[in-house]
Amino acid sequence: MISRIRYTFREMWASLSRNLTLTVAAVITSAVSLLMVGGSFLIQRAFDNQLKLWTGGVEMIVYVKHGADESQVLLIETALLSQESVVAGATYCDEVCSLDVARTLFATDPSALEQLTPQIPSFFKVKPVDQGSSEVLRSLKAEFSALPNVTDVRTPDDAVATLSRLKDIIGIRILVVSVVLLFASALLIWNTIRTAMFARRREIEVMKLVGATNWFIRLPFMLEGLLQGVVGGGIASGVLLLANSNWTSGVSGFPVNSGLRAFVVTDGYPYWVCLGLIVLGALVGAIGSATAASRFLDV
Amino acid sequence: MIKLENVTKTYSHEVTALQNANFDIAKGEFVFLVGPSGSGKSTMLRLMNRQERPEKGAVWVAGRNINDMPDAKVPHLRRNIGNIFQDYKLLANKTVFENVAFALEVIGRPRHVIRQQVPAVLDLVGLGGKQERFPHQLSGGEQQRVSIARAFVNRPLILLADEPTGNLDPATGEGIMRLLDRINKTGTTVVMATHDQRIVNMMRKRVIQFDRGVIVRDQARGVYE
Repeated sequence: MISRIRYTFREMWASLSRNLTLTVAAVITSAVSLLMVGGSFLIQRAFDNQLKLWTGGVEMIVYVKHGADESQVLLIETALLSQESVVAGATYCDEVCSLDVARTLFATDPSALEQLTPQIPSFFKVKPVDQGSSEVLRSLKAEFSALPNVTDVRTPDDAVATLSRLKDIIGIRILVVSVVLLFASALLIWNTIRTAMFARRREIEVMKLVGATNWFIRLPFMLEGLLQGVVGGGIASGVLLLANSNWTSGVSGFPVNSGLRAFVVTDGYPYWVCLGLIVLGALVGAIGSATAASRFLDV
Repeated sequence: MIKLENVTKTYSHEVTALQNANFDIAKGEFVFLVGPSGSGKSTMLRLMNRQERPEKGAVWVAGRNINDMPDAKVPHLRRNIGNIFQDYKLLANKTVFENVAFALEVIGRPRHVIRQQVPAVLDLVGLGGKQERFPHQLSGGEQQRVSIARAFVNRPLILLADEPTGNLDPATGEGIMRLLDRINKTGTTVVMATHDQRIVNMMRKRVIQFDRGVIVRDQARGVYE
């Protein structure tokens, strides 16, 4: 068993170094495509952070005074839900939940967060029955503002609506391009393995004639493709983390009223995306190489 | 050891390589397959190690009909069959030792077995002192000896040789035949395709003659006609 493992890794390494140019090309392509996949996830997340309060069809935020007790909150909720022809639902976010949201929205502005924290309000996210009832809901703004312990009622402005549309447009397009590029990198890995097998066709012929199993012959090639995908994923992850870090520090320099200071991803999410990219890279490499190794074994 | 029953093999449903071939080769026999180019000798060898399958008939090797054998079992069949070729099929980037060791390595033999068996078989073929040389540093005869060592290192039951002396001068070819004869005397069945008249006449072994895919002669202690 040990001799087989040693053989597999030795042959994988030999094949990688023999086709260095093709290997580098395959790694770069998979890195670029995976970088775009990762980038699209981070951009989506940054949009989500920027639009944290306005996702999922929310058309109104009703802020509740800091320190309001349970019965006072219940009173507001009852008043909101009583408009059943207009209000489909109202989700309550208590002060702890509100602080979490504030941490995201003020990720690049710790001093603002510090000022807000002692008097942080809780809030209700209000969804209209349908898109057509949004305007009616907004017309009730004054009525809701007058409820006891309500400090403010907000509806999305044009900038928020534009960001929402931008998110949909950019997100879908980047994802489509990424999928196409991923397919291209799988094809390139497939071609690299095919070339590697063709270069070693005599060896493969001898191996088959002396009784090596197909799996024994395939395995080094499959590992080669897998490694190309993993290295591509690793490179994409490194570049993504670096770009995210640069972007975050860049955004913190934007003016407070620019409306883009929450357009960052500062939690552990980028690391999960990187892990996903490495796994996806491995998957693309394994699929590309496995199909080539099976298809071209009869060289 | 090897038995063919009514074997017919065609290529692309047009070219008939073998037609209704029947013969039986006993364990430890030395058999020459003779005939002009394209008469079906190489096809016969390829059928014996399941590189090809016949359209009709059965090929029995060591008591098993290898046509019905599942693909997954074929590697195990081939571990009992050594192959020798006219062009040696050595790996240019590997030394003599590595070329022979390769045959054991790819079937998962442990290192200590390889270290023990490879020098022994290289001594047997007369290449004891040339383990570290590369194929291009050897003569044609020596390269064929490496090929024989690689085919025999796993002590197969059968050796299939396709024109092993085809690229060699007569004296070197005779040396190779003496080596194959020695291997045959250890109990290994040897089946050799050739159209080298001098070698066949010198060895006086069983001769199966092919003509356009048909067996036209099967003679014990035969000569080339």
